Amino acid sequence: MDNAIVTVKNLTHRFRLSKKTVIKAVDDISFTIQKGEIFGLVGESGSGKSTVARCIMNIYQPTAGEILFHDVNTCDKTAFRQNRKLLQTARQLIFQDSASSLNQRMKVADIIAEPMKINHITPPRGSYREEAAFQLRYVGMDENYLDKYPSEMSGGQRQRVAIARALSMEPELLVADEPIASLDVSIQAQIVNLFKHLQKEHGFSILFIAHDLAMVEYLCDRIGVMYRGKLVELAETAELFAHPLHPYTQMLLSAIPYPDPIRERNRPRMNTEDMIFDTEGTFREIRPNHFVLTKEAAL
Amino acid sequence: MTDQELFTQVGIREEKASAAAVKSKRSLPIFSIAVLVLIILGCLLADVIATKDPAYLDLMNYTKAPNGEFLFGTDTLGRDIFSCIWHGGRVSLFIGFFATLISTTIAVVYGSISGISSDWVDTAMMRVTEIFLSVPGLLVILFIQAILGDATVVSLSVVIGITSWYSIAKVIRTEVRQIRKSEYVIASQCMGGSFLHVLWHHLAPNFISAIMFMVVMNVRSAIASESTLSFMGMGLPLDVISWGSMLSLSERALMTKAWWIILIPGFFLVVLLVCLTNIGNWLRQTANRKESNL
Repeated sequence: MDNAIVTVKNLTHRFRLSKKTVIKAVDDISFTIQKGEIFGLVGESGSGKSTVARCIMNIYQPTAGEILFHDVNTCDKTAFRQNRKLLQTARQLIFQDSASSLNQRMKVADIIAEPMKINHITPPRGSYREEAAFQLRYVGMDENYLDKYPSEMSGGQRQRVAIARALSMEPELLVADEPIASLDVSIQAQIVNLFKHLQKEHGFSILFIAHDLAMVEYLCDRIGVMYRGKLVELAETAELFAHPLHPYTQMLLSAIPYPDPIRERNRPRMNTEDMIFDTEGTFREIRPNHFVLTKEAAL
Repeated sequence: MTDQELFTQVGIREEKASAAAVKSKRSLPIFSIAVLVLIILGCLLADVIATKDPAYLDLMNYTKAPNGEFLFGTDTLGRDIFSCIWHGGRVSLFIGFFATLISTTIAVVYGSISGISSDWVDTAMMRVTEIFLSVPGLLVILFIQAILGDATVVSLSVVIGITSWYSIAKVIRTEVRQIRKSEYVIASQCMGGSFLHVLWHHLAPNFISAIMFMVVMNVRSAIASESTLSFMGMGLPLDVISWGSMLSLSERALMTKAWWIILIPGFFLVVLLVCLTNIGNWLRQTANRKESNL
């Protein structure tokens, strides 16, 4: 595919806990993110979603496999050094916990201007403060917040500040590592709508990690489902929700609550605790643009 | 029995701190600060206050008790102690602050590097500081000073500075270790923040309150080390006037029953050290209270 902004090929990452125990957090996964696309990554806790995000952001050095950003192999140290500036400005990361991703001792204005100061970018709107105020308005906050500290704001406001900080670099790729998981439901809706709005205006790509399927269905163009370090299913949103093929995806979808009590009560319930799914097999295209990890050739 | 007697409420009992305890914890050590400021001002204005040349050996008036002309008397060489106190205070304070500047700088850089680097580099660096810590400080100072040759004010400050950074470095390393994996540090590194940027903007504001107390105490111990060394005759020579070198005359002074030669510089030294200790203690209490408020 020509239009890919990120290509992940056979990515594997292991954590060595001690000499004997090694944890395979991510096991041989491949996918691409297209330009201008919102790619969702879902899965239960510990399935390796955040590890993928951190490998893409070069926080972890993958054990095997490669990640291409445009044509730059970010896992290769010399290629990374040559394109350091591009990689550091064109990719931005948003964390789950906004309280710990903002320095408690810095004011909002300084937090938002920090990436510009690091990369010596002359602010297009005059001063760093003007620029910070602009970005803050852009994510829907008043410029009165410029002189506040993170502890003086609510979780949703802090997450907006974190998003404003990422946006100030005008990135091509935004990696959002569970940006809404720690927020309450009304704020989640605000942030998700903000993402949708920003994506329309800017046209950048987003890797959106979540475990809330309803949010992912609403926001994302394509979805990858992860289970125990493996990518078990990958399809466009409508396709995935209409024809879930992997048993784990089926179980996940069955767990979405419906806002209709009769339908909700009559629904067959799966016991999620004892289920162990097969992670063997190969990744095959079963339906057009719909990939599943399976042993059989046809499902 | 009534219900009231059978049933007593159990809960957190409010413990009221005595008024004196509250006051001593909260209030600024005004007296110590005032005395410290007075001493510093006196030393800065030494030329105005003490009109006599402190280095002038008045051989007609040696070992004179305090009187109208010589307010604090004269020493065995005939120098005016009043002038010596203010001029010598400059040297003592300079050594205190300069040595602390050196040791704090080393500690910040060393502690941050140790805190931010990988596990085994960190272990190696910390073992090195422990080896240094296990050697008596005075011994190392004497050793390095012997290598450097004759002591001057600057060389003595450097020697004291490079032998007194270990414990501050250890505190910084612990603080850095706690926050280096926090997400705002990772975010800053992702944006391309260099080590110095992260150190200055993210790490330093977080450990500064933790080491403030130790830094003030370091000023105190640097002044004390200089006095000890000079008293033992291994620090500043007699012709460089500091409170320590004035005390080194005490041997002869005691034999001539000239109490003022030893008591007056000693008094100033003790008062200065007590003031610094007081301020340091207050800083530590404020820092602790702030952390418990979090």
